[in-house]
Amino acid sequence: MHIKILYFAQLAELAQKTEETRSLKVGDTVASLYAELQQTYNFPHELTHIQVALNHQLSAHQASLQSGDTLAFLPPMAGG
Amino acid sequence: MHFDLTTATIDPIPLRQALLHQTAGAYCSYEGWVRDHNIGRSVQQLEYLAYPQLAPAVGTELLQEAKEKFAIESAALVHRIGLLAIGDLAVWVGVTAPHREASFLACRYLIDQAKYRLPIWKKEHYPDGSWAWIENSLTPSASASTRQVTT
Repeated sequence: MHIKILYFAQLAELAQKTEETRSLKVGDTVASLYAELQQTYNFPHELTHIQVALNHQLSAHQASLQSGDTLAFLPPMAGG
Repeated sequence: MHFDLTTATIDPIPLRQALLHQTAGAYCSYEGWVRDHNIGRSVQQLEYLAYPQLAPAVGTELLQEAKEKFAIESAALVHRIGLLAIGDLAVWVGVTAPHREASFLACRYLIDQAKYRLPIWKKEHYPDGSWAWIENSLTPSASASTRQVTT
């Protein structure tokens, strides 16, 4: 099982990539994945300050993940 | 209702023209320009990055919300992405309504919401070669995470 993860802005800089495919383990959640990534890449934001999009639609942090999904972590936005 | 992300220069004239309507007695627009400073620091240029698969849906949702909340005729929101120079037009909002009050309120609502909800990120580039990602949801003094260019 795999999931595609998208990074934007500061998160992409810290991860040094805009996307990657990671294996998805049974029981993985948005929170568990972000915690893992936060540790790997030193993401400064707590999950409460991050929005997520699942398959290019804004989604709740509690959304269930499935193999083949695309999950995007969105740091605080700054349009305008 | 019209939302667009563009890498090209935004020309407000045709956008305004497209909003004209016989029932509209009021037109209000907002232009966000790239300025040469932020929080007391000189800014050389701005870089906007978007989530292109998501931004149109959010932009359209904002326009729909404005239509539901205020007595307006129509509205449009266009945001530029890419590398912008000082003085460039970064975002344009236009609203038409039968009366001025709704056009003012809806225009304000749209730009305020766009700053926090459109999946767009802004990077300031400084004359010394460093940069910072700006976060609208934080206070300006706490929002800049400056990193030095290493090249």
